[in-house]
Amino acid sequence: MAMPLTANAVQNESTLSDALLGQLMAVGQVDILVGLPTLDNAATIVDVVRAIHLSFARDFPRLRTVMINSDGGSTDATPELVRAASLSDADMVQTSHSLRTLHRVVAPYHGLPGKLTALRTIFAAAELTQAKVLAVVDPNGPSTTAERVAELITPIVRSEVEFLTPRYRRHPRDGLLVTQLIRPVVRAVYGVGLDEPLGVEFSCSRRFASHCLDRDIWNHDVGRFAIDLWLRTEAIANGFSLGQIWRPAASTGAVRTTLRQTVQQVMLSLFESLRAHESFWRAASGLNELHTWGTDPRTTPDPPTWDHVALAEQARHDLGEIRVLLAGVLEPAVSPQVFDDMMVPALRLDDDLWAAIVYAFAAAVRRGSTGTEHLAAMFVPLYLWRASAFIASTADDSDAAVQARLDALCETFQRLKPLLVGSWTAGE
Amino acid sequence: MIQEIADALVQSWRNFANAFVLFVPRLVAATIIFAGGFVVAVLARRGVRALLAWLRFDRLALRTGASEMLRIADMPVAELIVAKIVFWLVWIGFIVSAVDTLQFGPFRGLVEEFFRFVPRFLVALLVLSLGFLVGNFLWRATLLASVNAGLPGARLLSGALRLLVIAIAVVMSLEQLGMATTVVLTAFAITFGAVMLGLAIAFGLGGREAARDLLERHFKRRKDRDTDAAPHL
Repeated sequence: MAMPLTANAVQNESTLSDALLGQLMAVGQVDILVGLPTLDNAATIVDVVRAIHLSFARDFPRLRTVMINSDGGSTDATPELVRAASLSDADMVQTSHSLRTLHRVVAPYHGLPGKLTALRTIFAAAELTQAKVLAVVDPNGPSTTAERVAELITPIVRSEVEFLTPRYRRHPRDGLLVTQLIRPVVRAVYGVGLDEPLGVEFSCSRRFASHCLDRDIWNHDVGRFAIDLWLRTEAIANGFSLGQIWRPAASTGAVRTTLRQTVQQVMLSLFESLRAHESFWRAASGLNELHTWGTDPRTTPDPPTWDHVALAEQARHDLGEIRVLLAGVLEPAVSPQVFDDMMVPALRLDDDLWAAIVYAFAAAVRRGSTGTEHLAAMFVPLYLWRASAFIASTADDSDAAVQARLDALCETFQRLKPLLVGSWTAGE
Repeated sequence: MIQEIADALVQSWRNFANAFVLFVPRLVAATIIFAGGFVVAVLARRGVRALLAWLRFDRLALRTGASEMLRIADMPVAELIVAKIVFWLVWIGFIVSAVDTLQFGPFRGLVEEFFRFVPRFLVALLVLSLGFLVGNFLWRATLLASVNAGLPGARLLSGALRLLVIAIAVVMSLEQLGMATTVVLTAFAITFGAVMLGLAIAFGLGGREAARDLLERHFKRRKDRDTDAAPHL
């Protein structure tokens, strides 16, 4: 079927290679496009591809579908495995009633290596094929099944929501970068009860995909770091209907950066998101809870183990080294409190102080007194200290008590939001 | 004889009177230039402060780290310093003009000299400012990168780098001003060379074992510090 090219499609065509463009033109218009950004995912990719195709054939037999693998230059033959992956005999039985051709496109992407370029390729492909639904599936997903792919796609197909993001049943001591920093900030500042502002998987409508393609983020820092966070906050700030979907566990199989690099990238993304959505969040108040699709898995995985004492020692040393820099960022009343807390043998950093620190860093971005990269680097030891202190202070608590602490932390960030708004607008 | 003395005295008095008659207007003019220059300089200082405040110069100073440096050195804020520099440049310009108006022999050509000096002074000031700016930026960047990379002596390393950059800027500024160029350059070259040679010898010969231990411990510690991000996501 010949495809009429929209203005956006023409604008974003340069993102797509000639080979990919040719393949997409051959596919024509589709209803569902599933993107699979990969980089050395040979261990899991075959099962994921099978799950996607089984879902296409079994759950959406009347819809036109395509799966696009945007590969960042894998050296473990991931693209070849994607091309060669075929449905097993058992799958074939289930998919015998498929009415459509199952399209599969494999293409390396152009530009800088990274998830941003992979996503841009997938978004541009969705625009070109005029896909009504776009879903991005985690290539590491150990529990990616056809059912889960269908669950991710269905609410968008039914137009029940425009952006769907996973929600995990976590152990309360798991994912501290999310539970101690990103979740409380996003919930408090944007006023939306989003559980997982980070995460590979999501699904969205074509309207949201087109909106993102039109935004000037693809060559900007906001997209270069933790694009997941930007996508979610962009959806919130621009009034797209958001929803969550239960998933079994957070996938962290392919974290290629160290903790310090990850914290920096997440902070940079947070800073840029706050700057980009300033007019929205300054006016936002209260908390809108989101509807969650799917079934709550109920079972929580075991907590991860890591040496919080060693991490605290590193943080204590690093904070001492950059004390003079921190004094320029933190409020005069806050800075001494942080260092007083470090002097006592017990690891501690209370919720109010932690929220004040995070908001002080956000306000420093607005003031422009220090570059954002430097602020993000400065923040790393503070996060390490807080994470270690949280683990130490909850060591003897029950899981329910720790979960209550997490909820209380979110409330603290909400309560102290006027601090951020005040210091953000102080220079105006 | 007496008549000759009287004539000499009269002549001398006439010369003095003529010179005085010629000098007084110049003195008055010089006084007016001096006083008027002060008023103009004060107005220029106020104007510059207002302009800098309007341009949010304090933010620029804060962003570049100049404010922090000035605070540490117990000096006034950056916009006040710029305003003072403008004040003195303008007033000294008027003072030089006033002195030149008096037409004293030793001070002839002072105005030309002054106006030849002003551009050099401004360039020197610019070089010095850039030196502080770059030095401060490098200090902060090095400190943060070293701390997050687990390098030993992060503060020493970053502080030394800042000192080096500022020292180079000071030497370049003094050279621009033409002040004791040879002495300054020679002193700088000798000090810099001596420090570098000393470090090289100390580290390469005297402290080979220590250097090896230091590097081994650093790489081990760095490996320990490269914590996996997965449990935190």
